[in-house]
Amino acid sequence: MKLDFSPEDELFREEIASWLAANLCGKFDSIRGRGGPGDQHMFIDERKAWEQKLYQGGWTCIGWAPEYGGRGATIEQQVIFNEEYARAQGPGRAGHIGETLVGPTLIAFGDQEQKDRYLPEILRGEAFWCQGYSEPGAGSDLANVKTSAKFDDTNQQWQINGQKVWTSLARESDYCFVIARTDSKSVGHRGLGFFLVPIDQPGVTVRPIEQLTGTSEFNEVFFDDAHCSIDDIVGEPGDGWKVAMGLLGFERGVSTLGQQMLFQNELDEIIVLAKANGSAQNPQIRQRIAEAHIGLRIMRFNSMRVLSSKETDGSLQKEAMIYKLYWSSWHRNLGKLAMDVMGSESEVLEDGPYQLNRLQSMYLFSRADTIYGGTNQIQRNLIAERALGMPKEPRG
Amino acid sequence: MNFTYSEDQLTYRDTVAALLAGEVTAESIRTRWESAQGIDANLTQQLSDMGLNAMLVPESCGGLGLSELDFILLAQECGRVAMPEPLVENAMVATAMLSDIAGSGLVAANQCQDVLEKIATGNVSVACGHWINPYINMADTNQWLLLPHGEEVHLVGSQAVDLIAQRSSDPSRRIFKVNWQPSSRTKIADGQLGTDLWRSALNRGALGVAAQLIGLAENILQRAVIFTTDREQFGRPVGANQAVKHLLADCAVSLEFAKPVIARAAYAVATAPTRADWAVSHAKVAASQAALLSVRHGMQVHGAMGYTWECDLQIWMKRCWAIDKTWGDAGFHKNRIHEWLLNPNALMGAEHTFGKSMSLNDETILEQGAV
Ligand SMILES: Cc1cc2nc3c(=O)[nH]c(=O)nc-3n(C[C@H](O)[C@H](O)[C@H](O)COP(=O)(O)OP(=O)(O)OC[C@H]3O[C@@H](n4cnc5c(N)ncnc54)[C@H](O)[C@@H]3O)c2cc1C
Repeated sequence: MKLDFSPEDELFREEIASWLAANLCGKFDSIRGRGGPGDQHMFIDERKAWEQKLYQGGWTCIGWAPEYGGRGATIEQQVIFNEEYARAQGPGRAGHIGETLVGPTLIAFGDQEQKDRYLPEILRGEAFWCQGYSEPGAGSDLANVKTSAKFDDTNQQWQINGQKVWTSLARESDYCFVIARTDSKSVGHRGLGFFLVPIDQPGVTVRPIEQLTGTSEFNEVFFDDAHCSIDDIVGEPGDGWKVAMGLLGFERGVSTLGQQMLFQNELDEIIVLAKANGSAQNPQIRQRIAEAHIGLRIMRFNSMRVLSSKETDGSLQKEAMIYKLYWSSWHRNLGKLAMDVMGSESEVLEDGPYQLNRLQSMYLFSRADTIYGGTNQIQRNLIAERALGMPKEPRG
Repeated sequence: MNFTYSEDQLTYRDTVAALLAGEVTAESIRTRWESAQGIDANLTQQLSDMGLNAMLVPESCGGLGLSELDFILLAQECGRVAMPEPLVENAMVATAMLSDIAGSGLVAANQCQDVLEKIATGNVSVACGHWINPYINMADTNQWLLLPHGEEVHLVGSQAVDLIAQRSSDPSRRIFKVNWQPSSRTKIADGQLGTDLWRSALNRGALGVAAQLIGLAENILQRAVIFTTDREQFGRPVGANQAVKHLLADCAVSLEFAKPVIARAAYAVATAPTRADWAVSHAKVAASQAALLSVRHGMQVHGAMGYTWECDLQIWMKRCWAIDKTWGDAGFHKNRIHEWLLNPNALMGAEHTFGKSMSLNDETILEQGAV
């Protein structure tokens, strides 16, 4: 065990901090602190341009191995990067899904040709991705997907039909990774494939869904004879479930560090507000602020422990499994704390027709945290059945 | 001892509930969202015809001369349908305050009687401000406003106030900041009586919110039960899973247990208003906890569907979130309770509560009630 940063790490800290100071300014001033949870669809063009700026400085995909264009940054360096990025109020990363989910998935499961094709444009901040898992009939029961993928011999391409739902940021994305059934006679997690599907094509229709926030980050995505090339299936037909679950493993990996820094910014904002409006004198509020701080530290130490252990190949370890339940519940409480600190003002919108301020949208979004990416109930089932090995509940 | 409501109270509640169920639907609420004032004038008229505005108006002023205890079940029904019209606050808080003054020997008694007569006939409506609420809901739909200036009570005509509209996170609420100038002409009570009146207003307001929260939450719970029975995953209703059932069972428990607390508080407000603080605070805290739990679990069991604008659940959830913070938030009311428990001889009142600065006199040493 060694819990301090080395002198080299501190040099690295200086490097990223000064780069951010020199570059996150001018035309990027307006997006400082924007695009975080609940705000991810905002300033999308500016934030895409910012991704390209980051790339020019060598700051995208720093955890990827050098052969894929990354820096092969150590865990410590990635921690530092995320800390400094949050401290500088770096905007929510538009390239997040590509960098932390698609990239690692292709590196682990993709073939050389796919890596050559997709990794460089993610690295350069030029291609943006969304996640096409859920369907009307496949939420918690993800293996129930009905979207079909047939190989079309004449055109030598995959033909996709069906519907996805709740697809976040589909309108802002260039590609969607889709789980679809390659074996029409199969049920459950057998007979699925994992596809890389371009969105800008006649067979794909994206329709926004309005959220209770009044904004539309998520969408319905319809596939009517949409297609992708013969090379756009990751793994073999039938491997879809394995790849899809591998990707979810990455979701609980390094990407948690950046998320925690956003949480820290939110907590800081709440503390500033509590001091300013007097609610910090309320002993109940003081205790909850302390509890929030404690929870955030617990998450950070747990992440660092998981990430610094040897098995960081994205397989679902016990520690990773407990993480989603913990952070989502913690964040939901933080949202409640924010509203209680705001008091009567928590009701008052910033502007019309339904413009929430940062803490208000954080509050509403935190209610979705316990739902997407596996609900709290499903997480508890996983912990009990997979981590603890308890008897399985009847399914269907 | 009898914790049950009378036949009359229950029958009247059922009549009102039937009217509301027909008139205040999710669809009609969404129509109000698009309208300028956010209320349905037709419904306001019907409620007035049924005598709801006049319930707490004394019989001598043409009203029904009933009490908060009679009104509380109706407030619950208004909550159940998420009615946007501010009936509860007007009829239970403003009207009751006017009645208190009308029954006093004050100079303003006549003026208040006059206003009360017009309330009883449905020609006038009055809103009630309070230092604890920075905003007044639907302030623009009233002819008069009761407003605080220190411990003074002022009755101010709507033409003499400046209403600054704010947007509420609950689109059913139209909240206003009120700018106005107190004058000797608008003052209708002050001194110790003023203090008592504002304290009663706070208790009635908090009680009304508590009752509405219970109705709102019961509706949410019912929606959640229906949704989880219909929605299938893994080849069976999601409600078949213990994890889902237990979430909703917990809501039912906390809601049921909040109800007698509200009845107790209504009884205290109606029969011993100067000793009602602790009972009202208990009711507000219990109802808020039950409602916020129902919102949280109700939304959780809806999955992503509960996060959409289209899903009517938001109408009820957003109301709970918004009114939970009115007439004293949980921190304020818990404080009143623990001060009373830990320091029963201490002076009670707003100025003894952290974070709020208000010059109210107080005298009352709370006595423990019978139940
Ligand atoms: C803001 C947001 C963004 C999203 N973004 C995306 C995205 O980009 N891409 C994507 O593919 N999906 C996305 N989703 C969808 C998300 O993954 C699903 O909502 C989630 O998997 C739950 O599915 P469901 O909504 O159909 O709920 P359901 O599965 O219908 O669940 C309803 C309720 O039943 C419970 N339940 C269901 N089965 C069980 C069981 N066996 N045991 C116990 N309880 C159970 C659930 O916990 C939940 O409380 C997003 C959702 C939200 C809210």
